[in-house]
Amino acid sequence: MKNRTFLVFVGPSLFLMFLFIAGPLMSVAWQSVHITRAVYEEVETELCTPGFLTQKCTMEIRTQPQLDENGRQISETVFVGFESYKNLLQPQVAFENIKEGSWAKLSNINFFKALRFTLTFTLITLPLVLGIGLLVALTVNQVIQSLRGPIIFISLLPFVITPVIGALSFRWLFVGDGILTALLEWWLERDIAMFAQGWTIEVLMLSYRVWHVAPFAFIVFYAGLQTVNRDTLESAIVDGATRWQRLKLVILPHLSPLILFVSIIHLMDSYRVFEEVIGFRSQAHVISLQWLTYNFLTLDETGNRMISRASASSMLTMIGIVFLLLFPLRSTWREHQKRRSG
Amino acid sequence: MSESSFLPKSLQLSKSLKLLSNGFLSIWCLIAVFPLLWITLMSLKYPLDAFSANPLVVIFGPGTLSAGASINFFDLLLVILWVVVAFLGIKRWQAEKNLGSKNWLYLGISIGWLFAAVALTELSATLREQLGADFFLSTPLLGMTTEHFQSVWIEQEFYQQFFNSLFVTTGVVSISLTVGTLAGYGLARSGSNWAFWILMTALVFRALPHSVLVSGYLPWFINSAEWLRPIFGEATLTLYGQPWAIIVVLASINQPFTIWMLRSFFQNIPRELDEAARIDGCSHGEAFVRVIVPVMWPGVLTAGLFSFLLAYNDYLVAALLLDAQNQTMVPAISGYFNRETTSTDQVEAVAAAVSITAPLFVLVMVFQKQLVSGLTQGAVKG
Amino acid sequence: MKKFLTIVVTLTAFVAAPMMSFAACDYRPSSKVSLLANSFAAWKAVSDAMGECGNFEAELDAEFRKKQPDAFAANPSLYQLGGVSNGTIQPLLSAGTIRPLDDLVAKYGKDLQPNQLIRINGQVMAIAMMVNNQHLMYREDIFKSLGLEVPTTYFELLSAADKVAASGQVQYALGGTYKAGWNLAEEFVNMYIGMGGDFFDGSKPNLNNAMGVRTLEMMRNLTHYMDPEYLVADSTYVQQQFQQGKIAMAVLWATRAAAMDDAKESQVVGKVKMAAAPSPVSGALPASTLWWDGVVLAKNMTDQQADEAFQLLMEGIDREMVTSNNDAAVWLINGYKPGPVAMGAAETAENGALPYPNGVEMGLMHTALGNNVADFLTGKETAEQTLIDIEAEYTTAAKEKGLL
Repeated sequence: MKNRTFLVFVGPSLFLMFLFIAGPLMSVAWQSVHITRAVYEEVETELCTPGFLTQKCTMEIRTQPQLDENGRQISETVFVGFESYKNLLQPQVAFENIKEGSWAKLSNINFFKALRFTLTFTLITLPLVLGIGLLVALTVNQVIQSLRGPIIFISLLPFVITPVIGALSFRWLFVGDGILTALLEWWLERDIAMFAQGWTIEVLMLSYRVWHVAPFAFIVFYAGLQTVNRDTLESAIVDGATRWQRLKLVILPHLSPLILFVSIIHLMDSYRVFEEVIGFRSQAHVISLQWLTYNFLTLDETGNRMISRASASSMLTMIGIVFLLLFPLRSTWREHQKRRSG
Repeated sequence: MSESSFLPKSLQLSKSLKLLSNGFLSIWCLIAVFPLLWITLMSLKYPLDAFSANPLVVIFGPGTLSAGASINFFDLLLVILWVVVAFLGIKRWQAEKNLGSKNWLYLGISIGWLFAAVALTELSATLREQLGADFFLSTPLLGMTTEHFQSVWIEQEFYQQFFNSLFVTTGVVSISLTVGTLAGYGLARSGSNWAFWILMTALVFRALPHSVLVSGYLPWFINSAEWLRPIFGEATLTLYGQPWAIIVVLASINQPFTIWMLRSFFQNIPRELDEAARIDGCSHGEAFVRVIVPVMWPGVLTAGLFSFLLAYNDYLVAALLLDAQNQTMVPAISGYFNRETTSTDQVEAVAAAVSITAPLFVLVMVFQKQLVSGLTQGAVKG
Repeated sequence: MKKFLTIVVTLTAFVAAPMMSFAACDYRPSSKVSLLANSFAAWKAVSDAMGECGNFEAELDAEFRKKQPDAFAANPSLYQLGGVSNGTIQPLLSAGTIRPLDDLVAKYGKDLQPNQLIRINGQVMAIAMMVNNQHLMYREDIFKSLGLEVPTTYFELLSAADKVAASGQVQYALGGTYKAGWNLAEEFVNMYIGMGGDFFDGSKPNLNNAMGVRTLEMMRNLTHYMDPEYLVADSTYVQQQFQQGKIAMAVLWATRAAAMDDAKESQVVGKVKMAAAPSPVSGALPASTLWWDGVVLAKNMTDQQADEAFQLLMEGIDREMVTSNNDAAVWLINGYKPGPVAMGAAETAENGALPYPNGVEMGLMHTALGNNVADFLTGKETAEQTLIDIEAEYTTAAKEKGLL
């Protein structure tokens, strides 16, 4: 295909991605090394507010932003280099803590706390999602034809369900004396509060994510199983291969590109874990990288938002995901090379 | 002879293994469906029952029953009848091999059947009146109320959000598929380094946290009237709150995934097909329209389903960039939860949550075959 | 056939109802007026009253504070009316996006009480409609059966909690809005102010002292009597615990009082009574802050629009609305009759509760508190370390904003 034709085909898509993804990204990169702030002055202000019966007026000295003649806030933008990154990572404190080997202290820095959770979340859910997805796919594949439809239907539900709603429905089952907590209490004969300590919340968040994503893995693998070469399988049986050997030598190699695909998608999605933190209200115990960014961006009571640190944190998040993806993508690169030469 | 003997020998299992695998599958199905079933149940009860710690109370709803809201045996029969007919309709639709007019008819009938439910409820009420409460068919069985659904859909006009969602999802699916199909084909047929790097960049884009992107748009969207005025004159609209602006944003965010998926799908369509057309003197564009378009639907449908899910389930973008008037369903629901007042509000929020999952139910039921066949034909070959 | 007719009639009535309801209001703005406000019962009452006039739209959202400053900075503003409190008016004032209301008040505000006019440097910048604070709510029946006095200090409150817990009449003696983030920080602010603490020395933080430590320790002592899931408990959660008879006491917002007697949801109708918020130590200020809620008008709209929006607002906060929603809040509006549920809030104010100390610095401090206090309560850190962390987070933010 000629370059020009190629461009005609790909152009519209590139334009959209450039405008709405690359553009904001560049502005984020720019903002992470700049700080925009108001120019403050101290003003003596008379403030009258309602008491219960009468009005109270007070004179106080307040810090407030200067306004220009049009009544707009005067603001200045300054280049600060890596100041925001430094504020986020606190490299000196972090380094000392690492030297001491004190994890508890290191996790006092929000970024490392979030990184720790995000990484464990990603790495623990990955094998679970792959394993359960594969297991369901294999078992569905040997069920009689007439039952497959309904089972696939049920299995897909957790995946299509709106994540916010899914997380909430999980929460309701466990929060306070939620029905499943009550069941656990009855079974273990002790009082249980699932949302009182960090690790139980973490377990809930992990299980929610596995519940939500395993069906995706399942449907992809199930589709893959439909194209396994029957003859190869039959001849493997003739050769006396056990079930386990057939799985290892025929089925898994056949599925390996799909496993890679599901892994990549899952790595990306779980690395930006966010809905779980909101849905399970876990911020007192565990936070994730995207939640950290979101928290910096959220306006506080007086209308401040930490755009620069938010941008720095999202740049670092992005660098992290590129690192995570490097490994699985090497094979794509090799395949590309092979295709070019072949 | 058991039915499994129809399976090829390679797929047959020993008895114990079969027991194990069926057991696992049943547990999995239970886990998959339980949270959803449970919130559906909660949405049908008054708050006193809905938030009870005793599962039996939630199921039978004594509080709701004593408040005078219940279903009887006859209602139950009607519901079962309704479900069975809807199910058979969809089954019939799936059974057809091609997407012809005949099976759209089946689909239409099944959807029409949905509305018939309203008439059935009326019928049941009339019958109850006629027969009196003593008749065994009309003794109350379970405490159950549809009050919260009525309140959400009628009093609070949730259908407006439904139409907003419908508009946004339709827009996103059509734009992202049109643009994505072209790009996917281009990328599949070009072996250049450019194509490779575009794909790699797209992958990194796919990984970006959405909150980062959205916060980038917000100031532009809000002030768009000011900076677009020189171009469009006085008629300029503020982009903030415009559903079509959201459509473009969501379609763009979804591009990376769509082009990846469609590229792998097109790679599985033999090159020889369009090359033959090219030899016959077609341009790339003509070859695409004549040869590729007729065979691409399974892949496009699969990619479309994923776009649909993204647009329908999106929370962050719509919550930040749309005002209440044009709000789609998902952010509107968290609005219900943020309206932190009473327990009744909470059950209403649950009812709203259940309502928005209903279209997803139908979607999976109708398209699951196409989804599997689209994936099988290579939409996800890495 | 009769059935069918009924349906038709109902449907017609249903469609026609919104059109006929204009009759309840004698003013209709010529262009659409919209309001962005917080979401609780009082706002619902006010926006419903304005909605009766037609051509009005309300967006009630508990997360409104995340949207409001941007929405009002747009030109034209995305909302004409904004619901604010003494905290959330601050960013709008700072950005200069709301307009002085003196001339409109002179023209249409004859029914307003002087107490309702929020003046800043002499100019009316907002119209207040209600006040709010945190007060003590307790189960009178349990207190009577155990012979307990209503606590006036936290010391007494703890000993009462101890007895309630020992009696086993409720699952947890106390409730508290300790959800990590804004709520938890608000609890800290109340307690620290009650102790007589001052958050700032100029713009520098001033927390790391004996009072800060005592505040944290008091909070932790209270949590021993709460549902162990207190870090996810917001106002609605505590309200429900009360309604379901799971807790016996809580210091909770005055706007939540009326819900206790709602027979549809509450199992404790008539059993919950209100009293003044206790003080941390005898003779100190109550551990509560005074808030007001009111309405502002955007600067970026035409004077004509502002005129109409203001008239509509006057319809929303009139005597009629208050009489039909008397217990939804402690109203400042003419016609309000303080009921029994308002007593606790009034006493708290009489005992000298201070207004929430809003200001640019306080916004940053509130966020820092919300992010760090939980570390002490969960036992991850000592009180001193927590206070150091809070000060450090505040300092970083204040430096970034150019305040230090």
